[in-house]
Parts: sequence; structure tokens; C-alpha cells
Amino acid sequence: MSLTNEQMIGMYANMKKIRMFEEQVAELFAAGKIPGFVHLYVGEEAVATGVCANLREDDYITSTHRGHGHLISKGGDIKLMMAELLGKKTGYCKGKGGSMHIADLDLGILGANGIVGGGPPLASGAALASQYQGKDLVTVCFFGDGAANQGTTHEAMNLATCWKLPVVFVNENNMYGISSCTLNSMCVADIADRAAAYDMPGVVVDGNDVVAVYEAASEALRQAREGEGPSLIECKTYRHKGHFEGDPCVYRNEEELQEWKAKDPVLRFEKKLLDMQVLAREKIDEIKDSIEKDLAKAVSFAEESPFPDPSEIIEDVYTP
Amino acid sequence: MSLVGIIANPASGKDIRRLVAFGSVFGNQEKVRIVRRVLLGLVAVGVERICYMPDYFGIVERALDHIKVPATIFPANFSLKGSQEDSVRAARIMREKGATCIVTIGGDGTNRAVVKGSGAAPILPISTGTNNVFPSMVEGTIAGLAAGLIAMKRVPLDESTFLSTKLEVLVNGNVVDLALVDVVVCDDLFVGSRAVWDMDKVRQIFLNQAQPDSIGLSSIGGLIHPINAEEPLSLCLELGDGGRPVTAPVAPGIIKQVFIKGQRIMQMGDEIAVSVVPSILALDGEREVEIRPGQQVAIRLEKDGPVVVDVKQTMTAAMKNGSLLR
Repeated sequence: MSLTNEQMIGMYANMKKIRMFEEQVAELFAAGKIPGFVHLYVGEEAVATGVCANLREDDYITSTHRGHGHLISKGGDIKLMMAELLGKKTGYCKGKGGSMHIADLDLGILGANGIVGGGPPLASGAALASQYQGKDLVTVCFFGDGAANQGTTHEAMNLATCWKLPVVFVNENNMYGISSCTLNSMCVADIADRAAAYDMPGVVVDGNDVVAVYEAASEALRQAREGEGPSLIECKTYRHKGHFEGDPCVYRNEEELQEWKAKDPVLRFEKKLLDMQVLAREKIDEIKDSIEKDLAKAVSFAEESPFPDPSEIIEDVYTP
Repeated sequence: MSLVGIIANPASGKDIRRLVAFGSVFGNQEKVRIVRRVLLGLVAVGVERICYMPDYFGIVERALDHIKVPATIFPANFSLKGSQEDSVRAARIMREKGATCIVTIGGDGTNRAVVKGSGAAPILPISTGTNNVFPSMVEGTIAGLAAGLIAMKRVPLDESTFLSTKLEVLVNGNVVDLALVDVVVCDDLFVGSRAVWDMDKVRQIFLNQAQPDSIGLSSIGGLIHPINAEEPLSLCLELGDGGRPVTAPVAPGIIKQVFIKGQRIMQMGDEIAVSVVPSILALDGEREVEIRPGQQVAIRLEKDGPVVVDVKQTMTAAMKNGSLLR
């Protein structure tokens, strides 16, 4: 398995796109243009990028409340995402779901999820469906360290191994479940240690190194696709922003934040590609310009779109 | 007063080899249990002070939860970084405080880091995993007894330890790193997930230690020309198509045929140039050093590696001098 220059530049561009999207969302939120909550993925870009670079369009992912990076990496349309965030009728959920409910079944995105630990059962279910239908699809379940302590995660992992389901559990351990540090909420320091209890491989990787994530995901997904069963990849990472926009972050200190910012996954990969002469400064500018233009179009699209009509409030729900 | 150091690496035994090979997951709970037995072994032979590396999981603190240890136990005092630098700093502090033995619980990579700080303090390396060459799978109680006997000077060092050689990495003439077991030159650009498993990318292997019963890439050399850690020799292998085939256990559960195009014995002080630039150098099993375009890189065999405790020899020496017959 070797990454081509094109793949590496593609992963860099994807990370940059997530970063710039999130920075734009932060600005819009601060300007009062986004209703509800947003949980930004800044600092964790390498995880979604490294994993999804291995996926086919028809593979599935389940996401979390911090899902923008997953959606972008799986091919989500930032115009529709932005419209949804602004509560507009043209958004992914017709403006009625917001950040935590975005889904695109055509792209295999089974949804962001406002319920902590809500994704793992969906992921094992999707994997069971693929297995039952004899399709060679895999499902990736992104979940956080808080979700790792939920019973739903245990149930999903247990059944996934019992039935050798084609699912890869990707834990984004950013050290905090809202404001609770994992050191105070878990008796193991590495969530990957729990894999042994389910009789599945469990590995720890540097979640701020996109190549490390890519390599681990590549092997785990190959095994899942070939019927060898599920795996657990724990990606050690950190969110630069608070749990939600506006979170004062009193539960963590500045020194810790600065240490992690020094390991910024986007800057780190950019520097490496420059050092290795895979990427030139001009190409970086070109990528940035292109994303800026796409983002500007997405914001205009969202701002110019109408809000849903109040009469539609009970449409598109299972139980009106 | 006798002082023993304990460095238990909370991150060892969890890398991608559990996915790309068939390595065991080595949880921190098991390390706690090993450390507990080490502590009991140490105090059984009279060790009075024990300095340990603090870590984010609290391996030693947890080990102390269920036992009474009649010794002064204290952490090496420094700010944790959660990286291999912690092991280097802990070893340096232990050396400065006068540790006469340091017990390590980890893999080849852990010991490589410890050696950067331990100086002449003897190291007793306990393996936590299935892909190690430098540390041994030794029972914690026995390791504790052996480390205690060394620290208390109840067995002679010349009967219980050996001096390992080491490999130095020179970039543009400057020593930038070291390896205790092997340096592997990979035709790659990234450190990534650190382990080496894709043999198609391996171009050169420098071996400081290689036995026919080793696991990992050092086994390739072990099947051609075995070398002990204390021997003033190393082996440099060139891999490539058309060479001599060797079937070797390159990782836990992974047996592959590789082709050796050339081999050369290195004497003490010999330097051999790294043949692929840019590339990545894996040191003791972990991709570590990025070689950038235009850099001149060589590997040199040097003496003055770590003093290593041989547990079997130590216990044999104790048997001969009656240290434990009381």
C-alpha cells in the first residue's frame, strides 16, 4: 500500500476544506446566523480524512454530533450543509434538522447524530444489511470517547464480532466528553484496550497524523470487506474549539491547548508535503483559493435560500 | 541507599501490528500486574528506594493499590508529554539520582528511549508484546528479584550483565538517533503508523542483534548470520529482487520470503551509507527518522550501548553465591 502524490494532495485538500468550512461556520455562528448548536471538528480533520480516503462511494458511515468533517470527507455537498446549518429549506434536512441530523443516503452518509452513542447500533445494523444482501460494502462508525462509555456501543461491538460484520469502529478520542476528561470517566486510558474483550483487533494511532490514520483504516477496511470481521481504531486527537461554539472551556488549560495546536494535523501534513517536495507553495494557494470560492458560493446559496414554511413543521417526521 | 527505577510505558503493545499482523493487545491492566510483582520482588531482596516514571494511566500507583511495599517509592518529577520523551527524561532523572538498576516494561521502542537517558545504569527490560527482540518475556517477580540483587550489589555485575553495542544514525555527519536492535531503510515518505510490515518497501536492514529465534525483521539476519547484542559486529543486508531467498517471521504470525541481494559485516566504528534518499528509517521497529532529499545519511556501529541485565545469569549468580539461601 503506497499513497500516490495525487492521493496525498487530495487528502491535504480535504483537510483544508474541513478546516475552512468550520472556520466559516464559526464566523456565521458568531454573527447569529446559525440557530441551535454547532460542534466544530477543528483539530480532528486527519481522522475523517484518513479513514474516508479508503472508502467507496457506496460504503456507509455513521457520524456524530461533531459530524461536519465526516460528511465532507464522504463527499457531502457543502452548499446543502451550509443551507441546513442556517435552517434553510434547501438544506439537507429542509432546514429542520440542523448540524446534528445531516444525512445523505445516496452518499452512504447514514447521518450525523445528536445522541451520544447513537451511531454504533446503526453502523452494525447497516453492516448486517450489507452482509445479508451479499454486498461487499463496509460501514465505518465514527464515535467519540464519550460514546465509548455508552451501552449502545458495547452492544454494537459485541454483535459486530459475533456475526463478523463488515464494520470498522473509529474512535475519535479527543480527551473530553463535553467537559469530562477521559482520565476521570474511564478505567482504561486507551479505548483500544477494550477491543480484546470483543475479540476484535484494536489499535491506537496518532489521530493528528493523516497518514497513520489512512494506513490503519486501509488494513481494517480491507479485512472488513473480505469478511474477516470488525476492528477498532482509536485515534488520539484533540478539538481546538470547545465542545460547542461558545463553550468557555474552563475544564482545560491553555498549555494543553497550545501543545495540541503545535500538533495541528493540517499544518503538520502541509509542512511534510512541502518538505518532501510533494506539494509546492503555489499549489497550496491554488487549493485555498478554490475552497474559498466554493465556500463563498455555499454561504450565498444558504443566505439566499428561504426558510421552510411553518406549515411544513410536521412534514418529514415519523410521528407527527 | 539502593535505588531502582521503574519505567512502564503505557503506550506499548497497542500499535498497528495488532491489525496488520497477529500481535497481542497488551493492556495497561496487565502492566499494572507485572509492576506489582516487580515491586514485591524488589523489596524481597531489600531494595529501599524505588523511583518510577509517572504516566497518564498511573501504572505504578495502581500497582501499589493492593500491596504493602516497605520501601520509599516516589515519581520522577517532570511534566509529562505523553510521548517517548517521557521515558528519556525519566531515565535521565533516575540516573542522576543514582539508580543502580532500571526495570523497563515495554517493547524495543521503549528501551531505545530509555537508553537515551539511562547512561551506565543497568537496564532490565521486560517485554510487553509479541514483536520484541531487546526485552525478554520474563516473569515480573523474577525480574524484580534480579533487579534487586543487582541494585543491592548482591551479585557481581560481570556475571549478571552484558554491555550491548548500538547503531548510530548520522545525518550530514551528525549523530541524530540510535537503535539497539535494527535500523530499517524504507522507501517511504512518512512515519505514519510507525510499524514496518510492507516488505516491498524495505531496502536495507542494519542489524545490531539478530538470532534465528528472533521475531521481526531482525530474524532475517538471524537466519543468515546470527549476532548477539554484545558482539562488536553488525550486519548490513541489502534487499531486492533476484537475491538469495530467506523465509523469515517478519512480524507475529507473518512469515514471508524476502530476497537478500547483498550482505556485509560491520566492525566497530564502521559506517555504511543509507542507499535510498529520501526515505524513512525505522529504528527498533518504528518508523522514526525522515530522510529528506539531499541529505547524506549513514549508519555506524558503536560500543557503549546500554548495560543489560541477563535475568537467568543473575539468578544463576545468586544461586552460586547463596544470596537467596537465607
